[in-house]
This record gives sequence, C-alpha cells and structure tokens, in this order.
Amino acid sequence: MKPDTAEALDTLAGEFVLGTLSPEQHAAMTERLSVDPSLRAAVDAWEERLLELTALAAPQPPSARLWGRIQRSLNELATPSKQQRTHWWQRLGLLQALSAAGLAASMLLAFALLTAPPATTQFVVVLVAPGNQAPGWVVQTSDSRMIELIPLGEDAVPEGMALQFWTKGEQWRAPVSLGLVKPGEPYRVPIQRLPPLEANQLFELTLEKSGGSPTGLPTGPVRFIGRAVKVI
Amino acid sequence: MNASVTPLDFQRCLEACALGDRRALQALYDQEGARLLGVARRIVRDDATAEDIVHDAFIRIWTRAASFDPARGSARGWIYSITRHLALNAIRDSRRETVLDDADIDSSAALPAGGDDIDLWSGSAKIYRCLEQLQPTPQRCILHAYVDGCSHAEIAGLLGAPLGTVKAWIKRSLKALRECLE
Repeated sequence: MKPDTAEALDTLAGEFVLGTLSPEQHAAMTERLSVDPSLRAAVDAWEERLLELTALAAPQPPSARLWGRIQRSLNELATPSKQQRTHWWQRLGLLQALSAAGLAASMLLAFALLTAPPATTQFVVVLVAPGNQAPGWVVQTSDSRMIELIPLGEDAVPEGMALQFWTKGEQWRAPVSLGLVKPGEPYRVPIQRLPPLEANQLFELTLEKSGGSPTGLPTGPVRFIGRAVKVI
Repeated sequence: MNASVTPLDFQRCLEACALGDRRALQALYDQEGARLLGVARRIVRDDATAEDIVHDAFIRIWTRAASFDPARGSARGWIYSITRHLALNAIRDSRRETVLDDADIDSSAALPAGGDDIDLWSGSAKIYRCLEQLQPTPQRCILHAYVDGCSHAEIAGLLGAPLGTVKAWIKRSLKALRECLE
C-alpha cells in the first residue's frame, strides 16, 4: 500500500470515529470494516485516541425509569435468546432434523462406502444443510490420523466470510475447530491431537468472519452439520 | 464491590455480562450511565432520544459482551464507542429524512463556547494537550464533530466557514492529532 493511500485510509478511519462521513461513505465504510482488519485497527486506534473527549459532554443523570426499561428489554430477550444462545450441539431439534435427513444422506453414505476402500474407512459423516437438509459435504476417515472433507457441490460464501470446520465428541465440553475450509475444495485435517473418532461425533461447518471465529467457538450460523457413522 | 473506592474493572464486567450476570451490567450502568447519557444527549440533542440510545446501548453491551476483544481496545472505550455510534446513526438517519436548514444548526445548543472547556482539560489525557496545539478554529471543528455529532455542513454553518475549508481543517487536524499522539 502506498503511503498516501495509507494516510487517506487513516483519515477515513478518523472521520468515521468523528462521525463526519456522509451516509453513503459511512455505509461503505461499515461494510468494509467487517472484511478489512487493517482499517478496523485504524478505527480502533482512533476510538481509543479520542475517547477522553467524551468527558467534555456533561453527565446527565438518567431518569429513574431507564434502568427498569433496560431490565424489561433484557427479560424479553431472555426467553428467545436462550434458544438463540443454545449452541448447535445442544439443539435437539436440529439433531432430530439430522436423523430425518434420510434418503439422500443414506445414498451418499452408500456412495461413500462403495467408492472408499472399505477395509480402512472407519467413519463417514454426511454434512447436510439444516434448513433444507441438502447434503453438502462428506467427511471420510481413511485412517486414524487424517480426516478428509469432500465437497459435493460449490457452496457460495459471502464476501469477507469463511466456512469454519468444527467437531465435537459426545462427551466433550465444547467443539474444537478443525480450521477454515474453502467452498468447493476438499480439505484434509490431521487429527492426531484429537481423541479417537467415535460414533455420533458431530461435525459442522459454520459461517464465520474471514479469519475464523474470534472466540474459538462457533459464533455464526450453521451451514452444514452431520454425525459420524461407523462403517466397518 | 464498592465502585467509589475500587475502580470498576470494565473488562471483568463485560466477561460477567457474557456469562449472563446482570449485576455486572448494572455495575456498568451505575458507573457510566449518566456519562453515557450525557454523551448521547449532546449528539442527539433530545432527552427522550438520548435515553433511547442509552437503552439500546446497554442491550447491545449485554448481547455482544462475548464479542468484546481486549486486543482491539479498552472495555470502557468499547462501551462508549457503542453508545456514540448509536447516537451518530440516529442523527444520520434523521438527517436523511429531514433536510437540514439553518434553524437546525442555530438550535444546536450547548456547543462548547470558546474556552469553557479549558478547565476540564488541564492535567487531563494527552489528547487535550494535542488539541491545544491546533489552531482554535480547526480545534472547534474536531470538537463539534466528535462531541456534538455535527456534520461538515453544520460545522461550516456554525463557524461561518466554507464547507471545503471545514473538510480540509478536519483532515489536517486528524493528521496533526495522530502525529502528536504517536
């Protein structure tokens, strides 16, 4: 990046924080921030630099009603948000839907069985889309050290987003990331560090910001999910 | 925890919020609610709207606490940024609907008049020492924008300066501030 461009970007970041961008510039900037970590860092730096200027606004005691209002909104959030906050691996409905994924999945399983050397394949997982249960990926293990994620089609991922691959055994406390996956491309993961694969182990792909989930746990929507089936 | 004796640990409060502890959110509200309302009020220039902003800000703090990343900045700064941007978005949306006229600018009350705020500045954060190194008019541009949420056009109206000049002052002031703060 040329120095003058870097400086122009930094000024843009400063104006974003000041609040002087036009609605159009602001909208473009907001979109860009979700995919441009260096711009994001420039904005973060301006937020920190100018923060102390907030002290120039005289404090104004909130009305007595405000905290009660906030609490009521939290209460309203609590019921649906409990469901939203339930992680995918705890969501019974989704898992039941998986069991019903049925025919297409079985056919793929049969396909995988026929095409993979049966003497070494231990587990197969068909990952289906939670909404329409369309199979999107197959996971195969050909030995205990490597698993292979094979795309069944081209799945579009929005600009600035990435597919992240996760797994969770039934007794594990939380899922483990197996890395970022390119749509439509096979992906191989060494799994020596993980406990041995087990039947019913969950695998899923979630949509995360490019670079992957910032929390180390799935945060985005589930695109594909499936459970390991022992095939020998 | 006694907030008047122990400084509030903002980051720990956010971590507790992420785990669903409402007392942590209340601690943040008790500590910063009035200041955040002051910040929002100054930008939206209306009491009821300012309370709406602070309400929305605390809901957002609660629902997004888990996404706070200390590597990106302070927890206190995160809370203020959420509130300021909600307030700025509110006036940006309303500006789209109503064409700004001179009356709006004239009624943008409570702008810092000249040296009124100088007392606040002494011995304070470095940003104030850097601001003092700017010429008075560019300095007012920065403050009108950041504190009052004024657009370029509003600042031009307030200062009686051409729009292009105001834009140039702001760009140059940002550069000078960045260099001063480095």
